[in-house]
Amino acid sequence: MNTAFIANLILATVRMAIPLLLISLGELYGQRAGMVNIGLEGLAAIGSLVGFLVSFVTGSNWLGLLCGALAGVAVNMIYAFATVTLCADHTVYGMAINIFAPALASFIYRVYFGSGSELSQITLMRGVAIPGLKNIPFFGDLLFNQTPMVYITVAIVIFTAIFFKRTQAGLNYKAVGEHPRAAATLGISVIRVKYLACVICGALAGIGGAYLTTCYSNTYTEGNVAGRGFIALAAVIFGRWTSGGILLACLFFGFCDALQIRLQVGSFGIPYQFFQMIPYIATIVVLTLIGAKQAGPKANGKPYRREQR
Amino acid sequence: MRMEHISKRFGDFYANKDVSLDVRKGEVHTLLGENGAGKSTLMNILIGLYQPTEGKIFLKGREVRIESPSQAVKLGIGMVHQHFMLVEAMTVFDNIVLGDKNHKGIFIDKEARKREILALSEKYGLDVQPDRLITEISVGEQQRVEILKALYHGAELLILDEPSAALTDIEVEGLFEIMNKLISEGKSIIFISHKMREVLRISDRITILRAGEVVTTVNRGEYDGQGLANLMIGRELSASQYEKKDSQAETVIELRGAEFNKESKHNGLNGVNLSVRKGEIVGIAGVDGNGQTQLAQLVTGVIRPDQGEVSLKNSKVAVFDPDNFIREGVTHVPEDRNLQGLIGDMTIADNLVLRTTDKAEFSSGGGLFLKKGRIRNYARQMAKKYDIRCTSVEQDVRSLSGGNQQKVILARELEAGPDLLVAAHPTRGLDIGATRFVHDEMIQARDSGVGILLISADFDEILEMSDRILVIFEGQIMGEYSGKNPPIEEISLAMTGK
Repeated sequence: MNTAFIANLILATVRMAIPLLLISLGELYGQRAGMVNIGLEGLAAIGSLVGFLVSFVTGSNWLGLLCGALAGVAVNMIYAFATVTLCADHTVYGMAINIFAPALASFIYRVYFGSGSELSQITLMRGVAIPGLKNIPFFGDLLFNQTPMVYITVAIVIFTAIFFKRTQAGLNYKAVGEHPRAAATLGISVIRVKYLACVICGALAGIGGAYLTTCYSNTYTEGNVAGRGFIALAAVIFGRWTSGGILLACLFFGFCDALQIRLQVGSFGIPYQFFQMIPYIATIVVLTLIGAKQAGPKANGKPYRREQR
Repeated sequence: MRMEHISKRFGDFYANKDVSLDVRKGEVHTLLGENGAGKSTLMNILIGLYQPTEGKIFLKGREVRIESPSQAVKLGIGMVHQHFMLVEAMTVFDNIVLGDKNHKGIFIDKEARKREILALSEKYGLDVQPDRLITEISVGEQQRVEILKALYHGAELLILDEPSAALTDIEVEGLFEIMNKLISEGKSIIFISHKMREVLRISDRITILRAGEVVTTVNRGEYDGQGLANLMIGRELSASQYEKKDSQAETVIELRGAEFNKESKHNGLNGVNLSVRKGEIVGIAGVDGNGQTQLAQLVTGVIRPDQGEVSLKNSKVAVFDPDNFIREGVTHVPEDRNLQGLIGDMTIADNLVLRTTDKAEFSSGGGLFLKKGRIRNYARQMAKKYDIRCTSVEQDVRSLSGGNQQKVILARELEAGPDLLVAAHPTRGLDIGATRFVHDEMIQARDSGVGILLISADFDEILEMSDRILVIFEGQIMGEYSGKNPPIEEISLAMTGK
């Protein structure tokens, strides 16, 4: 172990945590309004493909990220309509999106690029150094010389914390996930908040997916989301439904991911598949350890019917 | 406020039919009616949760359309629901400012708003603590939070839906004081209740609803309680007076120094001694959340005491397991019928035989193959005997009214031929007719030799039914009183720990 190894590990941890964090924040906005969306994997997959495709065609990573967000929103509206308007089961429609969206992504990819073996690539988003802070020894270069998406994501974390803790709108929003009927009697439009939640969730999960192709790896491969949608679900629980907690949870899972890649590179005589398991095993262990004691928003996953007897 | 010719239809069913109601400034107007008489529907229309099928609403002489709850709030209508609309994971302060539209700005200025809340609280004597979590405060205080919330949102007309259901007599007195203060400040109150004593005390006028229609509106003093009850149910119902017994038969259950989670004031038991003999009703009086839940769980074998012992028919219980208690002849009417008493998505027939499916009568091979025909026939008999009003015994139990659901439970528990019946809040949420039925059945069971432990927060019920009365407060038994001419004042004091 040397400084370079540790520096690389930290750098990779942050890079790995960001897509997870984006997706988890989307889920946080969903669950705070009682929308347990397990379709994150699918939303991220379609975001990832659209982000790649748009970046490839236009040459702009920013446009790719934006379109990835829009694709996530568009697909999530299926879930929103079914669960909010039709009061259908959240799990069923979340799962439906997990099956539908990645398949749609692969389909679009094949239609556009054909089934040739040539790998299409784009240019990744470049890092931007923050003047002043980047001069801090060791950490400066690691933490303050990242892509703009990293800074934006951290800004979203801070915004989210303030929104839910300090603002009237955030308080009203939270009430929808806790006790929608009470919220309704106080004149909060439950349906509107729930749809808004689905828009935010779709957008952030879409960006999370698009991050993978525009800022992380410069190409799209099938299954590149690799379970991050599900780990994000765990991160929301692990982070106790607060943005700060989710940040730490994602850094932890990101660290596991970073570690496994480093370990794969080093030759220990162990099949690399074992290292690949690390993030997933960490997820299972964490959920087992904290599982039973956690209580999320009370009305999570329950349909809200306005005129219910 | 005036509502004219309001009708509300759900499918083919009229929950309200041509209802007219007017409420004057500064009066307490009571809505009286049995469950399902359409009181709640009418109020839900008034607060914009439901849209009326027909009819008009006027406020201060101007016609208004209340299309959403936010509009109702804007118009100055506030409701305290029977099941409180409080977010348990939030503080009192958060609950009160929730949905606030009177303040501009994105951020919540905590200090300034807290001052407003405390000032308002002071003005009406509401005495709330803004920084506590909802789960930490008593039911009475939760209700005051609800009232304060409505006032904070600018309510001029307050609807109180069965506000006294969960309160002690003393807390009810406090509530009445608050109500008097409110009307003296020019607010109007719609009071929903079916407790005659309270209705007669506090109301200026009373509107009686039956089967979705207005029977009549009367001034206070025109009728006595019996007269109102008769108008409400549409037939003569004589006042009930059960004979009190002094049983000397054998003891079915005895608790000696039973303790469970004793540090907890609301969810524990501390040194409880009590016994129930065959053929008597022992009433446990007390405000909700003083250990009643744990007591019911203890005497049905759901929980094991940390200290002390429990004897069933004079033999000490070693294994605390519901099945063991059931075999010893203990049956249970649980406090929450939907959560613990019934399986909502199963049929009436299935719910009736839940515990007895392994009997040869209902199945072969000890529960392996159910004899569906027999079960159905049995269920039909029970529906008749216990007056369960349903279209078919194959109907989901969820679709029954609360009273009929309770009758299903009662049928199951009494038909088991118990030695001890533990009845927790057996008539909560039931209307007069169903309550009477449940009480009659319990008295009949007592007279046939069943020992009954009646746990209830309804003091009138305890007084009416019990042969002996025990008062529970913060997990402790505060005293024992005879059911014959009980000292009412003393008992109500004991219920508050004095």
